[in-house]
Amino acid sequence: MSLRIAGMGWVTPLGSGIEEVWNRLVKGETAVVESISSPLGKDYPVFRVPASATAQAPAHPRLRRSSAISRFAAVAGLAALADANLKLDEKSASRTALIFAVSNGGVVYTKRFYHDIVESGAQAASPILFPETVFNAPASHLAAILGIAGTSYTLVGDGAVGTLALKMADDLMAGDALDYCLVVGAEEADWLLCDAYHKWRLLRSAPPIEPFQDPPRGMILSEGAGALLLGRAGSIEIEKIFSGPNFSHRRDAPAALDKVYAELCHTPPDLVAASANGTFIDRAEHATIAKHSPTASIYSAKQALGESVGASTLWQTIVAGQALLTQRVPGFPGSTPIHTALISACGLNQQTAGLRLSLPKL
Amino acid sequence: MPDFSSSKPRPNAARVAVVAAGIVSPLGFGMEETLGALREGRDCVTPVSAFPVDRCRCQTAGQVSDERLAGADESHRHPERLHRVARMMTLALKEALAQAVDFRPELTVMGTTSGGMTFGEQYYRGLKASSAPDRHAASLIANYTPQKPVMDAQEAFGIGAPCQVIANACASGTNAIGHAFDCIRSGRYQRVLAGGYDAISELVFVGFDSLQASTPDRCRPFDSQRTGMVLGEGAAILALENLEAAQERGATILAEIVGYGISTDNHHLTQPNPSGSGPRQAMEGALQSAGISAEEIDYINAHGTATPFNDAAEGKAIAELFHRVPISSTKGMMGHSLGAAGAIEAVISLLALQHQLLPPNINFRQGDAELELNIVANKPQTSRVRAVLSNSFGFGGTNASVIMRSILA
Repeated sequence: MSLRIAGMGWVTPLGSGIEEVWNRLVKGETAVVESISSPLGKDYPVFRVPASATAQAPAHPRLRRSSAISRFAAVAGLAALADANLKLDEKSASRTALIFAVSNGGVVYTKRFYHDIVESGAQAASPILFPETVFNAPASHLAAILGIAGTSYTLVGDGAVGTLALKMADDLMAGDALDYCLVVGAEEADWLLCDAYHKWRLLRSAPPIEPFQDPPRGMILSEGAGALLLGRAGSIEIEKIFSGPNFSHRRDAPAALDKVYAELCHTPPDLVAASANGTFIDRAEHATIAKHSPTASIYSAKQALGESVGASTLWQTIVAGQALLTQRVPGFPGSTPIHTALISACGLNQQTAGLRLSLPKL
Repeated sequence: MPDFSSSKPRPNAARVAVVAAGIVSPLGFGMEETLGALREGRDCVTPVSAFPVDRCRCQTAGQVSDERLAGADESHRHPERLHRVARMMTLALKEALAQAVDFRPELTVMGTTSGGMTFGEQYYRGLKASSAPDRHAASLIANYTPQKPVMDAQEAFGIGAPCQVIANACASGTNAIGHAFDCIRSGRYQRVLAGGYDAISELVFVGFDSLQASTPDRCRPFDSQRTGMVLGEGAAILALENLEAAQERGATILAEIVGYGISTDNHHLTQPNPSGSGPRQAMEGALQSAGISAEEIDYINAHGTATPFNDAAEGKAIAELFHRVPISSTKGMMGHSLGAAGAIEAVISLLALQHQLLPPNINFRQGDAELELNIVANKPQTSRVRAVLSNSFGFGGTNASVIMRSILA
């Protein structure tokens, strides 16, 4: 059964709106890096979503007290539905599933909640904050906004989780109970995350992100959301989604990624939308691309948008979709023939996945 | 309201067998110990000692013995680096694989709410306590992530199956089993591991306490004087396989999963619609998916947290859909293990089918006059059990129900 991308939406450090951000990427623009200060006296670079990008967030009661991650998700999700000209009513909502992908989740409220416990004891813990710390809080808010009362899943994982969510949607759409799956990935930035990724030796102390530079010098975190509405009609065909094996050690990442590419490269794709972010991922991805699709144009949006972890592979998929629709690839001057695109996902904590897109045959 | 019209079993839908199971919970390590605890109606809730609870309303939980965990895990090269919930998961998987030696999953679907949260707490406390870099920080971060425990467990047995880790709050474990069931039933997969895991952490414990959802009393599901839940922890796993394929290779079939229902209640982030519409939709969906009637259910393992709101909504939905079906919540014995709960209770449902046993709803004194329910009060009962429905509901309005039945039924 054919699976298509019916609509796309995103909220990124370069703004929101598919065309707006895409045009800026094609022009070679990079989001402005801000500095985020930890109370421990260290500053970290981070790509943040500008306030203007969420100005059209719905005035829904569920978003009144929610964290930024929920607002990013709501704006991106609604944009994907609008892109497909789909207005959910009770009947269509009952045949639409929501799959939410997240890695770090609502870290801002989680940190605040636990900080109060550490500083002042259990009696200081806020019953208002606690429910927002739960991983599926953003999905719950979005389901309430959209009126989705049936299937809703929140998936957690590393940077590959967005593609694993697309695979879950693919499996759900194999039956006939659903017409659409809305897949949303979202993250919010915080100094605590920056500190953690820094201590994990994955963060760069200053811009830029330089994908595929050897040796890798580290990544910069970002925030935002990506949303894809999957259906049986749409302008982009999903040929195949593949959940790859896990890798126990970083040295095993190339072998795991090799299995993903072997599944998706029966013919070499014209474009690889890579997950390279300036870390060990780059070497694994470079070796695999060289073996399976040496002639493909390669583009990593992370140099412009940063590493948004749970949202990252959805951004990559949108980039690949836009490349197919516009026959343009950021960083490649002029028009480039793109008939097929591979989205590669190698996470920072052992997960791999990928998918392959094409333009539907007339 | 969700459209269930297409969730009926298709004539060519694959049947889904449970070929192995494993469990670690406050009730015990393994199926045999768990069965023993169920038969005794053992109260396994004890005072919390892992972190300070003197300023909490509730000071007890169902806890897995660290001493036994440390002694039991020989499967990892560096067990000291692992989170204790990864050890629980490893032991549950070890038990399952001992029953199905050649079981090689194509996919693993697990539920959790907080994974290795205590490592995150340790990391944050370390930050606040000292400006010097913690040499263990990188390990804490890498092993804090919610998907890591199941990947650690798989690694111990050379399994590299992709992991879909569902974090649908307290419904996660049942959602994982239900989605795994859907995957095999559709014919896309032959073998899937499904289950759930969670360990008690200070953040989550204090969180439920702040909501006054947890009780200073005993946990008394469906009792008229119920005052709330106690937390628990653990891990459980089911090995699911296409029934025909399992029979062809001569596998022992423990039970069959026949139905799954899911719904999302948009009433409130933490409170169910008092009408019970969310649980009702999930149970109706499971029945329709199974193609069976409510009269064919012999036992319901309820979500039954013992909070006033949950039990009222769930009880109302059960009373409307089922007529005097025996019901128990096993959370009084071991607490609410959140993302693991649905998986643990699926294993308990399996034991109920295998041993024709109705597990007890302990600490029960008097039924709620508002709820017309047939509670298996305080002591286990022997009864004919051919089909069991297990419920899990969670924050965010997630509701899930699965139906399991004896293969001979």
